[in-house]
Amino acid sequence: MNSKTRDAILSHQTSIIDYWLEEVSKFRSEDNLQSITNKVYENTNREFVDKLFLTVQNGKDDIYKDLILYAERLIQLGWPLNYITRGLQAFRKVTVETLSKAEENYSKSIEFFQEIENWIDEIVNILVNEYSGSWENTVFLQKMALKELSAPLIPVFEKISVMPLIGTIDTERAKLIMENLLEGVIEHRAEVVLIDITGVPVVDTMVAHHIIQASEAVRLVGAKCILVGIRPEIAQTIVNLGIDLGRFPTKSTLKKGIETALQLTKREIIEISEQGGITYENSNP
Amino acid sequence: MRIPILKLHDYLLISVQVELDDQTALKFQEDVLNKIHEVGSRGVVIDLTSVEMIDSFIAKVLGDVVDMSNLMGAKVVLTGIQPAVAITLIDMGIVLDEVPTALDLEQGLDKLQSELEG
Amino acid sequence: MQVQTHVDINSEWGIVAARQAGRKLAREIGFGSVDQARITTAISELARNIYLYANKGQIHIEELTDSGRRGIKILAIDDGPGIKDVRRVMEDGFTTSGGLGAGLPGVKRLMDDFKIDSEVNSGTKITVIKWLR
Repeated sequence: MNSKTRDAILSHQTSIIDYWLEEVSKFRSEDNLQSITNKVYENTNREFVDKLFLTVQNGKDDIYKDLILYAERLIQLGWPLNYITRGLQAFRKVTVETLSKAEENYSKSIEFFQEIENWIDEIVNILVNEYSGSWENTVFLQKMALKELSAPLIPVFEKISVMPLIGTIDTERAKLIMENLLEGVIEHRAEVVLIDITGVPVVDTMVAHHIIQASEAVRLVGAKCILVGIRPEIAQTIVNLGIDLGRFPTKSTLKKGIETALQLTKREIIEISEQGGITYENSNP
Repeated sequence: MRIPILKLHDYLLISVQVELDDQTALKFQEDVLNKIHEVGSRGVVIDLTSVEMIDSFIAKVLGDVVDMSNLMGAKVVLTGIQPAVAITLIDMGIVLDEVPTALDLEQGLDKLQSELEG
Repeated sequence: MQVQTHVDINSEWGIVAARQAGRKLAREIGFGSVDQARITTAISELARNIYLYANKGQIHIEELTDSGRRGIKILAIDDGPGIKDVRRVMEDGFTTSGGLGAGLPGVKRLMDDFKIDSEVNSGTKITVIKWLR
């Protein structure tokens, strides 16, 4: 910003600030900032406009650091990006309006408008960058978190493991699930694996395809797969879509699946009588 | 290169420890069938723990060994297929449908025993 | 630095050499064990096709970097008889050699990008790429 523009803005500092605060307070009711007290809102507004004036006074370079720190704090507190963009739009409007009413001829020149435009644009760029940077970071962290809770294989008995699937299954997740599943089968020496889809909201042809592939891979490494947690609506979609799950056993609940798994590994759960003795029912030791 | 075939009572035990080229695979097929014929085995365990890759050709050879051995009255179990190998086969669309599998040599033997004797 | 390897395919040993070279480079680039198996298997299929149908040809394997992504590119070239009906060979189960018919469609599924150029009587060129996830 050239010195003429700077002097013009600074000489009307008080009226610009007052007008701006008034403008910004109009957004108060529309913003999703209802939970913030009036006092905090006013303080934040005042700080915002002070920072903006600091950039006018000192020009470029290290003074933007202050503005960035301010933006970072807003991001952390969860203020929306449109608070900042609207604030800046209001600032442009207020400044141009105030100064065009002023006496000096310079403030009516094209050059003057362009100076203000460039300055505001630069600040918008910096702050939007800050915001989107923090979003990218959040998305990345969420992806990592999702990856971590993406399907652990839990050994429940010797030779029997369970993999509960939760959430939507896309191709990338399916690949990860498959790798976890097979590594886990080897690690736990599982002979039977129960894949529990109780927590999978939608089973379409693609999800079914991934599950079928996983169970075929499990068979290749030398274990058996049982699909459990098939809710009525899932059973309906599977049949309506014409998906053939006939090749591997399915059970409605994890409990029934575990009973089948015990049978497959030639074991059963028996009750112990109160005296501490064991009642054998059709046992074959 | 030849893959050693061990005899244990009624069974043949084979652990594939070398990178399978086409000739070795075909030679292996022949050797297994000859050995079954020679000693009258009822079961064969082929352990693939050390095999890092199975392409469509080797998959076909293995599938054929299973079918041919069955014709000669010997059951075959493939054991120790690595996760990466299994995933690759599935990606390729090779399912090895009718082939019995087990986690390792020990479980493979158990499986043969329970199928042949139980 | 970009790494490149060429393997001549003119005997069955060439197939083994090509997949070993592929596995080595895939490991160096940082592919996990599953992707290493996918890449090695794809190379094996491509190399075998060269040997089976054209008798000789080359496999080129190179590291790839493109706008921040890394990957491995495999090029299989021969000047053999070519493929008459490219669409047909991409069908599962189609075979002229008595194999499983899983070769080329399998390679396509194992890799991320797949391109085939073939002209009858002048040869076949197949390019496949796997990206590092």
